Order: sequence, then C-alpha cells, then structure tokens
Amino acid sequence: MDKLLKDKKAIILFVTPALAMFVVILVIPIIQMFYYSLCDYAALTPPVFKGLANYKKLFFKDATFKIALKNSLFFMIFSAVTQQIIGLFLAVLLTNIPRGRNLFKNIYYLPCVLSSAALGLLWAFMFNPKIGINQLLAKIGIKGPLWLMDSKGFIVLPMWVIAFVALWQYVGQNMMLYMAQITGISRELFEASYVDGASKPQAFWYITLPLIKPMMITSLSLNCIGSLKFFDLVYNMTQGGPNHRTEVLATQLYAEGFNYFKYGYASAISVVLLVMCLVVTVLIKRVIKVETYES
Amino acid sequence: MFKKGLAGLLSAAMAVGMLGTAMVPMNIMADDVEEITWMFWDDLEATEDLISKGYKQILDRYNEEYAGKYHVTAITTNLEEYDGKVNALVAAGQTPDVFICNPGPNLDVYVNAGVAADLTDILQNQEKEWYDTFTDGIFESLTYDGKIMAVPTNFAAACVYYNTEMFDAAGVEVPKTFDELLEVCQTLKDAGYTPISCSAGTAWCLSMIAGYLCDRQGVDLDAIAAHEANWTDDVVVQAATKLKELSQYFQETAAGDSNDQATAGFYNGEAAMLVQGSWAIGQINGNNPDFESKCGVFQFPAIEGANDPNRMIVKTDNLVMSSTTEHQEAAVALMKMFTDETAQKYTAEIGGKFPIIKNVEIDYEVAPAQLKYVVDIMSTATGNFGFYNESLASVEAGDTFDNAMVDVFLGNQTPEEACQTIQTYYEDNVWE
Repeated sequence: MDKLLKDKKAIILFVTPALAMFVVILVIPIIQMFYYSLCDYAALTPPVFKGLANYKKLFFKDATFKIALKNSLFFMIFSAVTQQIIGLFLAVLLTNIPRGRNLFKNIYYLPCVLSSAALGLLWAFMFNPKIGINQLLAKIGIKGPLWLMDSKGFIVLPMWVIAFVALWQYVGQNMMLYMAQITGISRELFEASYVDGASKPQAFWYITLPLIKPMMITSLSLNCIGSLKFFDLVYNMTQGGPNHRTEVLATQLYAEGFNYFKYGYASAISVVLLVMCLVVTVLIKRVIKVETYES
Repeated sequence: MFKKGLAGLLSAAMAVGMLGTAMVPMNIMADDVEEITWMFWDDLEATEDLISKGYKQILDRYNEEYAGKYHVTAITTNLEEYDGKVNALVAAGQTPDVFICNPGPNLDVYVNAGVAADLTDILQNQEKEWYDTFTDGIFESLTYDGKIMAVPTNFAAACVYYNTEMFDAAGVEVPKTFDELLEVCQTLKDAGYTPISCSAGTAWCLSMIAGYLCDRQGVDLDAIAAHEANWTDDVVVQAATKLKELSQYFQETAAGDSNDQATAGFYNGEAAMLVQGSWAIGQINGNNPDFESKCGVFQFPAIEGANDPNRMIVKTDNLVMSSTTEHQEAAVALMKMFTDETAQKYTAEIGGKFPIIKNVEIDYEVAPAQLKYVVDIMSTATGNFGFYNESLASVEAGDTFDNAMVDVFLGNQTPEEACQTIQTYYEDNVWE
C-alpha cells in the first residue's frame, strides 16, 4: 500500500476519473451558474451580460424574494432546533431502553424513507378543510383554522404546518445519526462515571454530549443545508401560496426559471442559496468546538 | 457452487437485458411509424372533463386512422404545473411536437424564442382548404407580424353560472348590475347559502372577476400599455375596491381552493354562483350530469354609469407546433383532426364550448343546456377582451396583476396598495 501511495502515476490514475467527474458535474455548472446570474438569460436565446442587475433587483426590489428568504431562514432555524433536540432525545431514549429498540427505531425512521412528494400530497389532503383534520375537529364542535391557506402573521400558519410535517418526516434521520454515535461510546466510560456517583443526566451531560459533538456538526450541517434548499414538501403542499406567502428560495428559483424563463435571475437566487449554505456550514464548524477524548 | 450458479444466472439476465434493449429501437425502425408527442393540461385517463375526454377521442381516432403511418402519444400534467413543465421540456431541447397553449404572453414566449413554428405557409398555401374552414378573424390573437403561429381548437366565453334552485329558494332574480349582485349575494347568505364559489389558490380564477370589474369600470389596457394611463388611476382602484366588496361572499376556503375545488364546490351544490369560462360546462356536466338542469347562466353584471356592460371575456385553446419537429406532416395531420367537423361538433354538443370552424351544424337539442344560454349572451355582446393575465405585457406582468388582486382579497393590501404594486412593476419592467 505504501509503495502504491508513493507512485505518482498510480495516484494520478486513480484520482483523475473522480476529479474529472467532479469538475464536469459540479465545478463547471457552478461557474456557469455564476456567469448566468450576471446575465439576462432566457435559456432559448444567448445570455446577455448585465452585470449585477439581477442581484440589485433581487435584494432591493423583489418582495417575493424577501418572503422566500425569511421563510427559508425560519425553516432552517425551526428544523435545526427541533430536529436536533428531538432527534437527540429519541436517540438517548432508544439507546437506553432494554426492549423494543428496533421496533421504535423503525417507526421513527419510516417517514424518512417515504417519498416527500407523496407525503406532501398526503398532508395537503389531511389539512384540506373540506376533507381532512378540520372534519374531525368539526365532529367535536371545534372550528379548525385554514391550515394551508391562512396568510396573516410574520410567519404564516402554513409555514408552521410545513415545518412540523418536515419535523415529523426527518427527525428519524437525526435520531439514527445520533444513535450510531452514542452506541459507539465505550460502556466503560458510563460505568466508571456511575461508580464515581454520577447520575444518568450527569453522564449524558459530561460524557454523551461531548463525545457526540462530531456527529452534531455533521447532523446540524446536513439539517441546515437540507432546510435551506428545501423544495418538495412546500411545492406539494402549497406551491408557495397563498400568494407567495409560503415561498422558499428553492420554490421561487423554480418559478423564476421554469414559469418565467428567467434563467439568469433564477441563477442569481441559486448563488444566494449556495452562499448561504457555505456560510451556515462554516459557522457551524466554527461555533461547535470538537475535542478528542478517546483514541 | 451456489455462487457460481448465481453469477451465471445474473450474467445471463444481463445479456438478455442488453439484447432486449438493443432490439427495441430495431423494432421501432422496422415499423417505420412516425411517432409524435402532444402535450396537454389534464390527465386524459382520469379526467371527467368532457372537453378533455373529447381530446382523448381525437387522439384515439388519429392513431386508428393513421395506424402504421403516424402515432401520437400524449404527455399530460395538471393545469397548475403545465406551463412550467412545457418550459422545462423546451429548455431541455425536448419540445413536444404539438402542444396546447394559451394566447397572449404565454404564446409570446414561444414565438419570440422561435419555439413555435410559423404556420402561415402551411395554412394559406399548402392546406388552403383547411384554412378556409376556420371562422373569420379567429387567428387574430394568434398572428404575429402577419405570421400565424398557432391553430385554435375552440373558444370559450366567461359568464356567471348559477344554481337556479338556490336562487328560487332564496327568492332572488338574476342581477343586472353590480349593486344588484351584492344584494343577491347578501340575500343568499342570509338564506344560509354560500353565494359565490371562487378560487384564489388558482389566481387566474379570482383575476377573471377582477378583469371583468376593471373592464366594466372602464380600465383601458391599451392606454396603460402605452403609458397613457396608470394602474393607480381611480378606475383601477375602484375595480379593486369592488372586488374586495364582492369577495366577502366567497366560500370560506377560497384563499387556498384550486380551480377544480372551487368548480366542484359549485356543481356539488355548496355555492350558488361561479364565475368561469364556458369550458366549465364540460367539467360541470361531466362530473355531475344531474346538475345541468338546474344550472343557469348570466353575463357578468354592469357597473352603472361606467363602461359598456356587454363586453365579454373570451379565449381560445390553441395548438402550437414545434419549430424543431421532424414530423411536420404528422403534426399537421393531428392539428387538422382537432379542427375537423367531428371534433368541432363534439366540442359544442358534448363539451359545451364554441367551435372555431364555419358551417358546423350544432344540434342545440342535444348540446348542454348551458351552451344555449352562453350563445344567447354572446349574441348581444358588443365586444370582447382577453383574460387580464393573458392581455398584459408578459406572463410575469399577468401574474403581478393576479397576485395583487389576490392580496386585495386576502386583505394583505388595500386596493390602493395593490394598484401601486402593479404600477411599480410596470415602471420597473414594462415602461422603463
């Protein structure tokens, strides 16, 4: 193996295919996207360079972008807080129960493997005032709200509904990641802490929590990036409505690109989305400090 | 041994699979059938809409009549996602050979981008006999710089449909003016009925009412396009204010209901009125045949002291042929079948929409009752205009108008603020 790693030709031979694919599939499209974001481009005619016009319009004139940005940030914060806390709670709970661990693990993880498009439609039916939850509420004399239609408030009710559905769908994924990390912690550490008189909450605080920090970074990063570029549930439950009130960056990008043929403008939204994802990832790595406790 | 056997089995399966894959194109080539695609905004297998069912019959007839020569496959999607899907296919270089398209800015996009084929020579020279069958002036909104860019399949007029049983039970008459309409709505509401079923979830439905109110009030779109008038003018604000007044009589779920849900609310007897194009006749009668006998139609009421009250919103469904199609003859044959006498008789007598060819005899005894009412209304019409969202400067300008009107309905903007929103859009994007 050492001999192989010293052979530069072998290294180049092994790295080149992957690197070429990476460049063709990721780097070139990103550079193209940056260029198109500076152009007036309708896909069917050649792009015309316009400088920062798309960005100026995006940040200073586009009211829908402001709504989409607000909703995307809300969605990211809500998902990060709820999914991380509840996912970790479930992981700790399930790693500590003697029986039924696999059953509950599968139950919590099940929504994660189902199609978001199908789930979006399913929940849209559930929250439809004519056929869903409101009909059940009406039977006990409660008049349910217009779950996916209300347009009042800083964060509108449909956005909260979508965020809760996303929580239900993806909390299992965070739970699984944390379970994998927790089960990897040596039992001897816990036993030693109990011998020293530590309670279970103390063991969680002083042993489990520090040792799952690397996974916390991974899980939180995946969570935040996934939330920022979230599309499917929103599109299938509200299509960004009523009147753009539940628009997120990904749905606005889709509408600008495919409904209005404004590929340049849609590319500018993509660039903003990409920068946001990078900033969030860097912030998470900077804020959460990881120390090595075990070899 | 087991592993070797499994490996052998998988290898054989792979070989058969590859051979099969290689065989498929050979079979197609051997058939020598020209395969074309046609894209439409309804699921032809699941639909209850009678116009869509008629389109399915046309495709079946085409495939039967041209068996061994041409074959058409339908690409279908739901209405709300249609434009986005067509645009995605166009951008990917997979434009359907023929696709349905709304007139106005939607068609402008395909014409300006060179996606739509110029049909002038085909219609006026190669297929003159076919061209002569069309109603005079029907190509007006489909002609760009003298070039015909699409072929209409039918046309429809927007009217107010009403439940005669509910009107009788509430003791109200068909309103002639906007003030009377408000009174009728209030009486219906007092009698326990939802007066109007409307979709704000599908913004153009609400926008259709807004368009009528604007036109009745006297909004001049040509003057606005030329910037000789503004969106903030008093006539537009008054129209938006009237929309707000009327919207208090919409069903509770109007904010999120789709076009289909709002229409279903009407034909299922949950609301007394529906403002829709005459394409809704096929949808109403297809889904609830018993409703036909109690469905009346009247023209959108006048605003006293304002504009001509006999102008009607009309629109055509149109077929666009891809400029890159390699099967022009097959595509033209399909378009001809959509506009032949059989298809056009079905359009009127079953679907309840207006034919676009001359000399087609319609038996009003067998046609939907609502069509006769619409024909009567059209006979007194003094002019027509398009959907507002299809009559403005671009698809986005149309959406800006629609969304501003939805905001008025939702109470997120006052009529003045909503008009200012459209004005600002025009200042930044249209008049600049």
